[in-house]
Amino acid sequence: MPKVSADERLQRLLALIPWVASRDGPRVDDVCARFGCTQAELVAELELLFLCGLHPYTPDVLIDVDIADGRVWIRYAEYFERPLRLTPAEGLALLAAGRTVLAGSGADEGGPLDRGLHKLAAAMGVDAGEAVEIELGAVADDLLRTLRAAIGASRQVEIDYYSFGRDERASRVIDPYAVFSAGGQWYVSGWCHRADDERLFRVDRIATAALLDSGFDPPARPPELASYRPGADDPRVTLDLEASARWVAEQYPVETVAELESGGLRVTLVASQAAWLERLLLRLGPRASVVGGDAGVTSSAARRLLARYQG
Amino acid sequence: MAGPAPSIGRVHRLERLINLVAALLHAERPLTADELRHRLPGYAADHATFRRAFERDKEALRDLGIPVVVEPVDDAAQPSAMGYRIPKEAYYLKDPGLAPDELAALHLAASAVRLEGASGVEALWKLGGELAEEGPSGPLSGFSSPSTLAGPAGTAMAALPGTANLAPVFAAISARRRIGFTYRGRARRVDPWRLSFRNGHWYLAGFDHDAGEERMFRLDRVESEVLATGDDAAFERPPHAGTQPPPWELGADEALTARLRVDAGQAAWAAGHVGPEAVESWDEDGSVVLAVRVTNRDAFRSFVLGFLDHAEVLSPAVLRGEMVEWLEALAEAPCLR
Repeated sequence: MPKVSADERLQRLLALIPWVASRDGPRVDDVCARFGCTQAELVAELELLFLCGLHPYTPDVLIDVDIADGRVWIRYAEYFERPLRLTPAEGLALLAAGRTVLAGSGADEGGPLDRGLHKLAAAMGVDAGEAVEIELGAVADDLLRTLRAAIGASRQVEIDYYSFGRDERASRVIDPYAVFSAGGQWYVSGWCHRADDERLFRVDRIATAALLDSGFDPPARPPELASYRPGADDPRVTLDLEASARWVAEQYPVETVAELESGGLRVTLVASQAAWLERLLLRLGPRASVVGGDAGVTSSAARRLLARYQG
Repeated sequence: MAGPAPSIGRVHRLERLINLVAALLHAERPLTADELRHRLPGYAADHATFRRAFERDKEALRDLGIPVVVEPVDDAAQPSAMGYRIPKEAYYLKDPGLAPDELAALHLAASAVRLEGASGVEALWKLGGELAEEGPSGPLSGFSSPSTLAGPAGTAMAALPGTANLAPVFAAISARRRIGFTYRGRARRVDPWRLSFRNGHWYLAGFDHDAGEERMFRLDRVESEVLATGDDAAFERPPHAGTQPPPWELGADEALTARLRVDAGQAAWAAGHVGPEAVESWDEDGSVVLAVRVTNRDAFRSFVLGFLDHAEVLSPAVLRGEMVEWLEALAEAPCLR
């Protein structure tokens, strides 16, 4: 166990004292498990507690600690009858974690987590569902279930995957390592037998996933795969945006932003994936003009889409 | 076991901090710094040395969220003296009354989700400690063990980014205090209602007093510290509308039902996105026809364009015509070099 500072030990003791004091001799090993310390560490903390109490620190106003038969008692610490209230950061961490699990599992409506969150939120003066709202990205529950089942059983899955950036759809067999949500999107990481490499797939781009009978050996330590990060060599595009399109700077990872006299913005974006840039420019239409990079993207994409309507 | 241990300089800092909290919690009236120096073992007799140690201790307590307040002592013998106290009502946790299975579920959630810059462990200690793995009837229905909730190498099932102002904003939401901050170069006064995490970012929804209406602020774009001002319970939170309708239903355009064909490759995603009730038919080639209510045509056009050439507005003629017009204007646009 890493060495903990006096402040962290204080935090733990202030929570541990009321818990033990309000019970009639809980078991030492239970206390250790709950508060994350070894028996030796707990004894050291309690020995220190013997010396604590109120002025003038005569035996009658010191906290009384007893350890016997694997059980522990704390008495005469009435001022520590309740733990310290949760700080906003602690309360938020718990509420956000709970809301995230609810959002990500589709389970437990009215179950223990749901009930616990409502009680916790009420104690903080808020409503669990209203104060903190978590959206992890919409994906089908059965997809997550299939992927989790495959990970749990170390079985391969065949996914029908649409690559958004390349605008291309293909079937791939993968050895799934993990399903997780990051940055508001669900991902499955794993070995892709089509690419013969480790890959990260967005779950919302998987049309279907079929659990295969074939198994695989999961790696001891699955690699940490980063989601897309722009590289120095990726092409850039510079756009002049009208005032009504200033939101682009809010919603896309822009590298540079400069104000224009018109009230608009000049922004530079990384555009390594053609389909992604086409979508942005088609949507913006006359509200954006390309002033740096491939200026023909918009018109050629527009002609391709038009062919469908004129065909 | 041991008796009093007043030997100065030999007292463990942790012991001194516990005694300090006990003294301030127990105090009937605010205690002056001088009184604390005399009463607590472990503080130096030398004034400057004591002052340094006392300031550091006070900071340590406040960093843990312990409400150390400064008040007039209100004692005839020491008029105008200021003293320190920890108000019990501000210190004590209001017991949420969690049942063991509820605490276990919260514990599991805290270990499955990582909120950057915050930890749920201290909160769990206060709520009764971390529970050991429970038996077969796991606290989260649908999950047999935390490992199925976990991501790579035992990391979290979900990682939420943190931002600097998250905790103060949440504090103001729970206390219902007005906050002030700078956003897009302008000072704002806002009644904070709710935090939302969507599209990978934290947003604050609240009433912007300068705009006179509800606004959403992206927290990582806040350009200043967030400062709470005024009293607690300064406003009422309006009930939350719940799930947001899709953007193409957020508008005042004449309501139309648009029929949209989406090709096989993206049909499942599209159907999942608009909901099953909007699916009109599935074709043999795997494509789907969706019937979508539209009251915001710009937003609908953006949605359709996201499919590039894998989708087509079928009807009504007015919407199809608008799409063709939009594309024609872009197809003919001069190349800007």
